[in-house]
Amino acid sequence: MSTPNHERAFDPRRVQQALVCMLFDPKYAARVYGEAELAELGVRERALLREVDPRALATDDMRRARAMHAILDEFPVSAAVVGLDLVDRFFASPAFRRCVFERGAMALAFGDDYLRDRAKGVGALETAMAHARRRRPRTGPPASLARAPGVEIVRVPDQTLAWYQRGRQRLGDEPLRALAKLRKPWKQKPPRRGAQWLLIETDGDGSLALGGASAALGGLLAAAGQGIAPALLRARAIELGAAPEDAAELLDDLVRDGLLVDLG
Amino acid sequence: MPSFLDRVAALPRLGLGVSTEYGAGARDGALDPAQLRREHPGFAQFLEVGVEVSKGLDDDAEAWAARGLPTTYHFLDINLDEPADFDETWLAQVRAVCAQLDPAWMCGDAGLWHFGARERGHMLLLPPVLEREAVAPMAAGIARLRETTGLEVLPENPPGAAFVGAMHLLEFFAALADAADTGLLLDCAHLAMFQRARGLDPLAGFDDFCWDRVVELHLAGGRELEREGLAWVEDDHGVEILPETWAIAEAAIDRASNLRALVVECERNAIAEVVPLFERAASLAGAELDAVASP
Repeated sequence: MSTPNHERAFDPRRVQQALVCMLFDPKYAARVYGEAELAELGVRERALLREVDPRALATDDMRRARAMHAILDEFPVSAAVVGLDLVDRFFASPAFRRCVFERGAMALAFGDDYLRDRAKGVGALETAMAHARRRRPRTGPPASLARAPGVEIVRVPDQTLAWYQRGRQRLGDEPLRALAKLRKPWKQKPPRRGAQWLLIETDGDGSLALGGASAALGGLLAAAGQGIAPALLRARAIELGAAPEDAAELLDDLVRDGLLVDLG
Repeated sequence: MPSFLDRVAALPRLGLGVSTEYGAGARDGALDPAQLRREHPGFAQFLEVGVEVSKGLDDDAEAWAARGLPTTYHFLDINLDEPADFDETWLAQVRAVCAQLDPAWMCGDAGLWHFGARERGHMLLLPPVLEREAVAPMAAGIARLRETTGLEVLPENPPGAAFVGAMHLLEFFAALADAADTGLLLDCAHLAMFQRARGLDPLAGFDDFCWDRVVELHLAGGRELEREGLAWVEDDHGVEILPETWAIAEAAIDRASNLRALVVECERNAIAEVVPLFERAASLAGAELDAVASP
């Protein structure tokens, strides 16, 4: 059971986090100023925020636009599919607030927690690309095998990669300019049927390489995830069609190729 | 470790300096610090380099550092009160920049530089919550950064249109300096914003402030704006310095017995436009603040 608001220890960081949400979202600010309960704030924390002149929350007209710019940079095709209004509403969403309160990454919160299936495979692909760019260390247990940081695998509807590449072409060399002119979401929607695995790899210079992957490789890299015991991954390789006597060598090859990493 | 008031004697007197941050000089007509030093050596006795480690140093800062000229390191990317911000990757990058700049000290706004994780699109700058409970976590961060870099870390009072909490800004920073046993960077323009926002006299809170901990002052232009009857000052680093900012600077210089540096923050303006600001700042500071030895 969570601690009742009036008993919770005062935390100045939580006050600042709520202030950030108020700065980005006038509706959230109205809730702080209102009477309905807010589970994330203690009584004293909320009282301090209610003393802020609401007009002082609106002194930076470009705050939301700057943050949106960062989202559009990483999700240009998804944004064209769902429309800019929906992207903008991210800043008024629980997903954004969780990002602020829980030290999240905005682009990942947007892709994983807000966009979800709204842009079909294109959204899943751009979300996976956002993960790959960050090359975060894997969090699996020691001695496990994990997907290498910067390597992502995603299963999307068939023809998604081709559709995505056409979408990027359509947005041209300056996608943000093209998106700024977009009044409505694109009428053409991404594929919904069939399946394909896509592999995303980060190059040394930080650029991303996209390509298709076999169902066996896709399934194996998906199983590796943040880290799995080698024996379990060998078993998965066998399920996916590897000969039992070759499974260990297959995993060694994937480590050598930089697709898997041994968490030692 | 000796107390800060003993350690401060070892800090160099840097004199009157100018600030920069990544890409500031790239805009047409923007200030070139090296040119300012050539044409007005007394106005660019040192360079305060604003650093986001993800961007590194730009050509102006690298060229300045390569000549071995004096610098300070102004951080732009650390929430001092957030332990998770002190990740090893960031610290390694900070140490690399320090090795390049060889700064006299580190300084920077003690506020919220980014929400969430340190990520693109997360940057903002909010003042600390002016309550007692906010002091200790921030002081711990200052001590940690000092131990990690071996440099003094001077917290600066951030700008803001809204200040949350009951304490006066100077009261908060005095408590912070005491808890972290450190010196301070007082931004006169930011303080003027606070005094205005609270409806206070520009010199309110001066009597009980720990002036012997003030090592550096900032002067900067600000733009007065108004919306729906709310007046506030935008920290635009322009060429119009508010009268109360000058008044604060003058009073601070009179009181700050350990003052080592005064920065005019004007990095995006042409030299001809900012010379009068430096002239006035130099006359306020007097010869006592001049750098003892510049290479």
